[in-house]
Amino acid sequence: MSTSDGALLRVEGLRVYFPIKSGIILERHVGDVRAVDGVDFELRRGETLGLVGESGCGKTTTGRAIVRLYRPTAGSIRFDGQELAGLEGEALRRVRRQMQMIFQDPFASLNPRMTLGSIVKEPLTIHGIGSPKEREGRVRQLLEVVGLNPGFVNRYPHEFSGGQRQRIGVARALAVQPDLVVADEPISALDVSIQAQILNLLERLQGEFGLTYLFIAHDLSVVRHISDRVAVMYVGRIAEVASSRDIFLGPLHPYTVALLSAIPIPDPAVEARRRRIILKGDVPNPVAPPPGCRFHTRCWLRGRLGNPAECEAVDPRVRDLAAGHQVACHFAEQVDGSAEQRLVTGRGAPPASSPA
Amino acid sequence: MVLLSVADLEVRFHTADATVHAVNGVSFELEEGETLGLVGESGCGKSVTSLAIMRLLPQPAGRITGGTVTFRDAILTELPEDEMRDLRGKEIAMVFQDPMTSLNPVLTVGEQLTETLMAHRQMTRQQARARAVALLEMVGIPRPATRLGAYPHQFSGGMRQRVMIAMALALEPKVLIADEPTTALDVTIQAQILDLVRNLTADFGTAVILITHDLGVVAGMTGRVNVMYAGFVVETGTTAELFAHPRHPYTVGLLRSIPRLDDTRHEDLVPIEGQPPDMTVAPRGCPFAPRCAWREERCVAENPALEPVVPGTPIVTTGPGATHRAACWYPATDEEARHGAPLRAAGGAA
Ligand SMILES: Nc1ncnc2c1ncn2[C@@H]1O[C@H](COP(=O)(O)OP(=O)(O)OP(=O)(O)O)[C@@H](O)[C@H]1O
Ligand SMILES: Nc1ncnc2c1ncn2[C@@H]1O[C@H](COP(=O)(O)OP(=O)(O)OP(=O)(O)O)[C@@H](O)[C@H]1O
Ligand code: SF4
Ligand code: SF4
Ligand SMILES: [Mg+2]
Ligand SMILES: [Mg+2]
Repeated sequence: MSTSDGALLRVEGLRVYFPIKSGIILERHVGDVRAVDGVDFELRRGETLGLVGESGCGKTTTGRAIVRLYRPTAGSIRFDGQELAGLEGEALRRVRRQMQMIFQDPFASLNPRMTLGSIVKEPLTIHGIGSPKEREGRVRQLLEVVGLNPGFVNRYPHEFSGGQRQRIGVARALAVQPDLVVADEPISALDVSIQAQILNLLERLQGEFGLTYLFIAHDLSVVRHISDRVAVMYVGRIAEVASSRDIFLGPLHPYTVALLSAIPIPDPAVEARRRRIILKGDVPNPVAPPPGCRFHTRCWLRGRLGNPAECEAVDPRVRDLAAGHQVACHFAEQVDGSAEQRLVTGRGAPPASSPA
Repeated sequence: MVLLSVADLEVRFHTADATVHAVNGVSFELEEGETLGLVGESGCGKSVTSLAIMRLLPQPAGRITGGTVTFRDAILTELPEDEMRDLRGKEIAMVFQDPMTSLNPVLTVGEQLTETLMAHRQMTRQQARARAVALLEMVGIPRPATRLGAYPHQFSGGMRQRVMIAMALALEPKVLIADEPTTALDVTIQAQILDLVRNLTADFGTAVILITHDLGVVAGMTGRVNVMYAGFVVETGTTAELFAHPRHPYTVGLLRSIPRLDDTRHEDLVPIEGQPPDMTVAPRGCPFAPRCAWREERCVAENPALEPVVPGTPIVTTGPGATHRAACWYPATDEEARHGAPLRAAGGAA
């Protein structure tokens, strides 16, 4: 994989397995959930990388491994030149200050017995930042930054709405002035009417504080809006990484194309013209991912090409197809210019025959 | 032909410390073969409206405190429970958001399907079994005959949702109410299920009420839509008209606040400011007023009724010619809707 200067984070060969144990007295190791199974990508300083994919493909596990809430099974995570994979104790605590996480569920991620003020202050205390008086001031300032009334410091999480709670999570993440923020589905649990409040807030804060975001989401419309680059995951692997523009206007992995085609567009006129690629079957189980290409059990291109043996037999490596555009498919060249690709990018007329 | 008619429906929940004004005078009709979308944010009364139609409100807290629901000639809100039980599934069926709440975990899928068919259709066990296999096949369950012996937990989320749809369609109901049938599913599975619902309803001529908070799903699936806010229908019309010319500030806000997959211009999102309404406070004035940029004095005092957006237009309630109506004193113009904010100088909250 090509690397470039300015990478704040570089992930190589990342694997996170969760062991499956069986037996009541003697626990035997009978297999692994291969949640993340060989993932490479990099994050440049100041950019937003969107990480997308369907439920269970390993997005959260990737994010948690990066901020070292999980210990990687294998692979390397280099943050600002420092290897994090095996880091422990005090050294780990020190880099953690530079990496913060915003969680999906604003209802479950805040301690219900702590006040707003103490929740936001906690990371400052843990990392020993400022005097007690300075911390109070910083908390008020942070609440203002995220649009919460500083007069609410003595209230408890249940007294706030979902959108307000997510603002609390953002304030807490920003307290220690991190460089990298991993935002794991930060708006999925919110009402549509208030999702935009949080998206706009995250965009504004990025500009103000020079933050780098790993933005995890399953909603590609949101990802398109906020990301500079996008990584698409499928069953523990990266299927495609490219600039946001290339992912949406020139996707090269058959899975990315199918995913884009499945997303409804809030415009009846567009929907009436649209054709979908309906994938067969379910997302495979990460305990026993399909051999060869992980997408071969559902791939629309494979059938089109007469079921070539490579798809089932050979695990496709991530290839550079264009500058900054990496794809893990043996036949990605066939996607370019295909009727299916034009279908989802809105370029050219829809194909005469219905795909897949 | 109008199948279902909901008139001035009002539902309240009496809990220990408050009364929830869940549905506040909702009226709409549904005709044969049409698909009506119900949209609006969490808590606006979508599920409660459909549970009230089915007479399945959580007891004893939930009560229909006003209005009527009529299916053909039967006034459902007055029907004895045994007649209502007969009608459920046979005439009006429902697919719930969480399939596990309506599938019995201790019975196999085959047992559940055949019981329903035998009870309502006077079929022999053998006939019912054959029909059950056909139903599972129809919704795309591979090897249906062998899957009859499986329990609900042995199916994946998408498969379970298919089983639910098979059960709901088993008795060929005239009306299908689908409450967020795909919200818990992945988009590629959602595409499969929506495709299925589209084909089945076209084949059977079933009328569908599709509840969702996803405006994309509404755009692709429905012919007509009711936008709900705080237990009221605040705007209604054909889906094409409503998306092209939204008039109610809440609808305008919804459409301007979500990013679109096909948006290449990176337009700023215009959030709806403020918080969703507190449903324990009895509504007074326009329910959207606290968050509305178009608000004027009158809005706080008087709640506007659902009226044609072109004053004086005769009201058609169903079908492709349905009248576009909104409940708003100062509806947005097309230009304001594109802009996401009022353009006139006077008054306003923002
Ligand atoms: N602590 C854990 N123990 C065992 N398995 C786990 C654990 N955490 C995650 N998994 C499994 O690892 C896989 C990847 O999970 P992960 O939460 O990373 O997915 P995700 O892409 O974030 O999905 P979602 O969109 O549903 O949040 C899943 O199969 C999941 O069940
Ligand atoms: N069993 C109950 N007891 C008390 N209040 C209830 C009960 N069920 C629903 N409500 C209230 O009734 C109102 C309408 O709820 P409803 O479930 O219809 O919302 P919804 O539009 O379906 O929302 P969602 O999109 O979250 O499913 C809400 O304010 C809700 O809190
Ligand atoms: S390698 Fe084969 S199966 Fe995999 S995505 Fe490419 S064409 Fe499809
Ligand atoms: S303009 Fe007035 S009546 Fe219309 S939505 Fe706003 S507050 Fe309600
Ligand atoms: Mg996750
Ligand atoms: Mg609901």
